[in-house]
Amino acid sequence: MLIELRDVFKIYGEGLEREVRALDGVSLSIAAGEFVAIAGASGSGKSTLMNVLGCLDVPSYGDYLLAGRDVGELSDRQLSRIRSRKIGFIFQGYNLIPGLNALENVELPLIYQGVGVSRRRDMALAALERVGLAGRAKHRPAEMSGGQQQRVAIARAIAARPPILMADEPTGALDSKTGLEVLDFLRQLNREGSTVLLITHDNAIAATARRIIRLRDGRIVEDKRQEVDWL
Amino acid sequence: MKLTQAVKMALKSILGKKGRSFLTMLGIIIGIASVMTIVSVVSGQNQKMLDYYAAMGTNRITCYGGLYNGESMFEKVYAYCQSLDELVVGVTPEVQCGNNVRYGVKNTASMDWEDQPRVILGSSQYAVCNNFALAKGRDLTELDVEEYHRVCVLGARAARVLFDYTDPVGETLTVDGVPFTVLGVYREKDPDNSYSLDNVIILPYTAGRFLNAGMEWAEFTVKAKDAAAVPRVMALLRDYMNGLTQDGQTGYGDCYSTQQWQEQENEQTRMMSLVLGGIAGISLLVGGIGIMNIMLVTVTERTREIGIRRAIGAERSSIVLQFLVEAAMICGIGGILGIALGFLATQLAGKLILDGLSLLPDLRITLGAFGFSVVLGLLFGMYPAIKASGLPPVAALRAE
Repeated sequence: MLIELRDVFKIYGEGLEREVRALDGVSLSIAAGEFVAIAGASGSGKSTLMNVLGCLDVPSYGDYLLAGRDVGELSDRQLSRIRSRKIGFIFQGYNLIPGLNALENVELPLIYQGVGVSRRRDMALAALERVGLAGRAKHRPAEMSGGQQQRVAIARAIAARPPILMADEPTGALDSKTGLEVLDFLRQLNREGSTVLLITHDNAIAATARRIIRLRDGRIVEDKRQEVDWL
Repeated sequence: MKLTQAVKMALKSILGKKGRSFLTMLGIIIGIASVMTIVSVVSGQNQKMLDYYAAMGTNRITCYGGLYNGESMFEKVYAYCQSLDELVVGVTPEVQCGNNVRYGVKNTASMDWEDQPRVILGSSQYAVCNNFALAKGRDLTELDVEEYHRVCVLGARAARVLFDYTDPVGETLTVDGVPFTVLGVYREKDPDNSYSLDNVIILPYTAGRFLNAGMEWAEFTVKAKDAAAVPRVMALLRDYMNGLTQDGQTGYGDCYSTQQWQEQENEQTRMMSLVLGGIAGISLLVGGIGIMNIMLVTVTERTREIGIRRAIGAERSSIVLQFLVEAAMICGIGGILGIALGFLATQLAGKLILDGLSLLPDLRITLGAFGFSVVLGLLFGMYPAIKASGLPPVAALRAE
């Protein structure tokens, strides 16, 4: 298993009256190459789940094994390496750095991996080309539309060719047409071998995934696999 | 992450937000420049006073006295002092007289007050008592004094005022209509003052009789060999004058030393330095708080950026290194600009406030102000970066 959660809790304000269990005993496993939608209403704990899966946050209790290694045992340095080499994030709010242009934003994870200047330029340009934004390499985020910014964010996520892609409401801020383009792109990456985790509150989008994990109040209430027609 | 990479990243970040970077620098620039300027002006003022005293002549004892029987107290003291030549280097009256000097079409009556040369009656030891050195021609001699020669020696500025740049030696000017031949010119010793000690015409004191100045010199100057000799010479002079006046029955006489004034003046400038140094210290502190504040705010508001960088794989050390380099660059560039501005402001203050004195900022103050600002900038640029990079990335990402 690529990803395995065993009885994971994430509890805020534990022991207090206003204690919130964002994850309330979640166990799941995801194999390499899957396309998984994590669905649920707002507040169901799906973003917390992605943060834990993406090593952006640590669970309060429970074990998280990523490619067989217990994440809880890893040092900050090792976690940083996992984030830069194994996982590509696509955030709902794009999370581009405003002072840097598209190319520089895409290069950033490569810089932190220690990729040399010319090679990382090539890789970043190739990633921008894949999302169809090679012509916008020198534009700042503020000079681009929401769809273009999201594509830059995708280019940044795929530039280092990580095996896992995690997308948190990637279509949330986009119109339906651009949203569909983004989804098509994620599917294409999945066909090429990436494991894709798609977090969404939109059932219609979740329905396009081969596997749907539905959360409610921090618990998995449904985990179903389906055949979908990807064309 | 390599240092070169961190430098590149910091540069991109600084250039990416030019306005913010400049405002951050501004606190440092103004802090350093103002401290440099204030301290320089005070120490320049102090130096100017000391220079003025040095130009006027140090180790001077001013005597006054007279004898009721009409004999000249000055001439007796003069003669007495010549016998003290291991303690005294010179004796001279310093009496200003005459009010109109002419040479050719030059006439002091039509000059600004500042430009008018002062006519002074002195002895052949006037130059040594007043730290004048001859530039050309010859000085007054004892013979000029004894023989009532109608001659004079000019200070450098008086020579310039009356003769422009032609050679005055051998020329004849008139004081209140009486002709005097110029023997020589002294070297300039006080170029920074508008009321210059060099703007003088020295006549032999015996020439006073041509100018209705009388022949009795109630006040005169004795110059001691060095500072240590001053109290001893004063004691000797007081004894001598008391002997002449039979303890005040047949005349009067006493002496005082400018050394006391100088000590007072030094004390005063020391006080002023302390007060203004305190002001400079406070302005540095206020500037420092400004630097702290702006670094703290600008880096804290980038917590989200730190979160993004962490989320895409930056190690904590990479973040801290980037912000360290960034703060160092902003503070360094700001500090250098501040030093440049402080240097210019110091020069300008020298020109405008201190009569064109060429002022140089104090090296220790400059480095101190620079170091203080840079260290504060680094500390308060790093602190929020260290804090934010220690959060779980998701917490930093949530920051707005």
